[in-house]
Amino acid sequence: MHRGARATLLVTWLLALAGLGWIVSQRLHVSSDLRSFMPAPTTPDQRLLMEQVGEGPGSRLLLLSISGASDGQLAGLSQGLAAVLKKDARYSQVLNGSFDLASLDPRLLPYRYLLSPTLDTQPLDEAYLADQLQQRLDDLSSPAASLLKNLLPRDPTLETLKLAERWAPAKSPQLRDGVWFTPQHEALLLVQTVAAGFDPGAQQQAIDGIREAFHALPGSADARLELSGPGYFSVVIGAQTRHQADWIGRISTVGFIALLLLAYRSVSSLLLSALPIASAALAGIAALTLVFSEVHGITLAFGFTLLGVAQEYPIRVLSHRRAGEDALQSVRDLWPLLLTAIASACIAYLAFYASGVAGLQQLAVFTIVGLLVAGLSTRYLLPHLLPRRVRDVAAMGWLIRARGWLDRLPRPRWIPLLVALAIAAMLALAPGPFWQNNLAALTPVPTALLQHDARLRQALGAPDVRYLLLLQAPTEQGVLALSQSLQPQADALVERHAVDAIELPSRYLPAVAQQRARQQKLPDRAMLEHALAGALQGMPFRADLFQPFVDDVETARALPPLTPERYAQTPLGQRLAAMLVQRDGHWLGLATVSGVHDVAALQTLGADRGGAVHLLDLKAASESLVAAYRTRILQALLAAGLLLVVTISVALRSARRAWHVLAPMTLATFLVLAVERVAGIEISLFHLVALILAGGLGLHYALFFERDTGDPAEQRRTLHATLVCVLSALLVFGMLAWATIPVLRAIGLTVSLGVAFHFCLSILMAPHARQD
Amino acid sequence: MIAGLRQPAPAHTAFAEARFLKMLDRPLVVSGQLSWLGDDRLQRRVEHPRAETATIADGEVTQQRDGKPARHFSLKRAPQLQVLLDSFVALLGGDAARLEQAFEIQREGDAAGAWTLTLVPRDAHVAKTVARIRIDGVGDQSRCMRMQEADGDLAVDLLGPLAEKMPAEPTRAELQALCTGSP
Repeated sequence: MHRGARATLLVTWLLALAGLGWIVSQRLHVSSDLRSFMPAPTTPDQRLLMEQVGEGPGSRLLLLSISGASDGQLAGLSQGLAAVLKKDARYSQVLNGSFDLASLDPRLLPYRYLLSPTLDTQPLDEAYLADQLQQRLDDLSSPAASLLKNLLPRDPTLETLKLAERWAPAKSPQLRDGVWFTPQHEALLLVQTVAAGFDPGAQQQAIDGIREAFHALPGSADARLELSGPGYFSVVIGAQTRHQADWIGRISTVGFIALLLLAYRSVSSLLLSALPIASAALAGIAALTLVFSEVHGITLAFGFTLLGVAQEYPIRVLSHRRAGEDALQSVRDLWPLLLTAIASACIAYLAFYASGVAGLQQLAVFTIVGLLVAGLSTRYLLPHLLPRRVRDVAAMGWLIRARGWLDRLPRPRWIPLLVALAIAAMLALAPGPFWQNNLAALTPVPTALLQHDARLRQALGAPDVRYLLLLQAPTEQGVLALSQSLQPQADALVERHAVDAIELPSRYLPAVAQQRARQQKLPDRAMLEHALAGALQGMPFRADLFQPFVDDVETARALPPLTPERYAQTPLGQRLAAMLVQRDGHWLGLATVSGVHDVAALQTLGADRGGAVHLLDLKAASESLVAAYRTRILQALLAAGLLLVVTISVALRSARRAWHVLAPMTLATFLVLAVERVAGIEISLFHLVALILAGGLGLHYALFFERDTGDPAEQRRTLHATLVCVLSALLVFGMLAWATIPVLRAIGLTVSLGVAFHFCLSILMAPHARQD
Repeated sequence: MIAGLRQPAPAHTAFAEARFLKMLDRPLVVSGQLSWLGDDRLQRRVEHPRAETATIADGEVTQQRDGKPARHFSLKRAPQLQVLLDSFVALLGGDAARLEQAFEIQREGDAAGAWTLTLVPRDAHVAKTVARIRIDGVGDQSRCMRMQEADGDLAVDLLGPLAEKMPAEPTRAELQALCTGSP
């Protein structure tokens, strides 16, 4: 190809990449919500988990502590921060311990008689009023007078205060200067985000909002704001994992470049060989954006990992170039085998597409499109661009000696049997459980953060993230009624210390029926005025003082009962709205529990309600979901394996040759599993994905080693290509194996071991070259 | 003069308080004992007509009545108590600087040793509730404390021996005479 034509091709290719990049930037929506990655739930608990993960009130709570200044300053900062956040639509509830009558909308004040339980046991009659008024006289001569003076004419029975007490957290921390404090002199706040707890993207925004608000406060420069809670953890862990992956990635990229330069001594070859993989990644994402409306972050991470196979294609081309031959000819010789590898991998990934799990389908589309683009561009575009003159690696002395040594290695037939027996023995002896179902264990929260969280949670009596009590009824009112009827049982559990607190939805809003019943008990104006006049006998209160009270009771008698919709305008109504969810024609109430000491006792709560009340163990449900997901992956893998056997057998037209390719690959894969298990590693989804990648690489090694061209120079080139591939994979994934974050270590270790085993076994199990 | 009022903690004094509130036709009268427990801790024990103890400590007020659960609230929400604390502790501790910090002070006195301190809160938030306090005394003894609230309500505390002289149904004039009259 002429120089001009080459330049045109290169520019066109780069422009096409830029175009793909533009499409991707326009269309790509990366979702960080774990739900879109998980398979469709099958059990009711899994369904509830999928619906409630992140929506459960407990998982949306952020715990804030402010420290590093005097109590007075900290209290001021706490008040300032709460005031700002309450106005922000990203937060549905902000609590810092300060008593706030504003949380009850002034227009809703007459509703206090329908919301407070007073009327359930106590009519507003003369005797009750007289007793209450006497107590108010005592209050007026007490230090609390200034608190009550303004409230008294409207609310002599202090229903507003009763409601405020009722809505305060069950176990409140110590108050200093009017706000919550820990014993360690930190001001405490509880913030509930509107965003789901396990959506790190949205949580990041909510957390940024809090930090910005805090730093904008005067006097905040010296104080320290610390956050905690599930949403914060997901953000911290995500950032940590990214940071470590980036850091390791940078080092291994440098090493990778150095390795390729050493192997091929050509900068232009190096740069050009990056084009197929870049095209693969962009085309894969572009295909995803065309097929799916949203792409999950984990899919992308897994996909890029699996795409690592494609880096081999240009390496093979570079290593197999012969002196005096143009790149096109080298590729033509190589192509049948490369095509076999690409096609069989793509066919195998079809099994993932057929699994029906959205995350795996995305993975399949990404990988298949990526591999095809990488392969085809390596075959049809790259050779035209590569420099004409190259060094033939086959002539290198060390390579000749290495190949000779390998050829003389004994290749006894009992090796597969020995390896299989070793695998069986190791799997049988391996300690601990086989599978790791707790995805969180792979991205553990730092101990210091956990301790801080436990301390704040203890101080605040904040709800448990693991358990959620679910109340189900056909209607919203049904949920509230059910919740109300559970209250005595819930109180009994708290009494028995089975649990520190249970927060039921009816705490914030009684059912309409109960509100009506209370309304019925309110006296009419004449009766109330008569009772009040009697109660005021001999008291020093001014005669017309309680007119606002009489008016409010009159108003309350005619009010339409408060429903969640009408209530939703107020902060408390928002709190309630977070506890009531409609799903598929029925309603769910989400009651939070704090400080669970006796799970079995808690499970008995509402056991007599015919399944309408249910304690959801989010951890157990999510682990069963992961197990179900793994089953789907294993099924897909099995199908992929069968497809691979068929494809390879058909492509090589020989069962014996297929055996030489597939047996080392299979044995090496199980050997990795066995070695990791013997080392006490529990196998997670990430290990499986890493095994698939290693399998894909191993397929290449075996295919190329099995190929007998009858040409010793070509055999040397194959060894050179494979060595470069193995070393680069070991470099990249071996670095990851040293990471401190388990998920990175899992991928790094698995691929490194896999590459090593696949390499060794595919050599030892390859047939001897013909000249032997 | 203020340094001369200093007493060692704990210091106890009897008190009788009359509150004239707009919402009431006649004043509320209670009596009991006020104690300074050292630092910023103050206790107000009411014995008549009904027992009640209020304790201020660490910016927090705890109010206790027989047979009822204790009630807690922040000192910030009870400016009267803040003023009481500031003036009382400063006087008993003989801490003129603290008094000066919390209030604008006006002092009147006569040759016989009787004096009146008028304290106006400097804190705008407190001043919204408490307009001023007058403390009357003779020699090294405070006799009377009058707290004028911004909304017109008035609380008069007779201290020490004078507490016994609280009438059953006092008037503002009677109490004024008691506070400023000769012992």
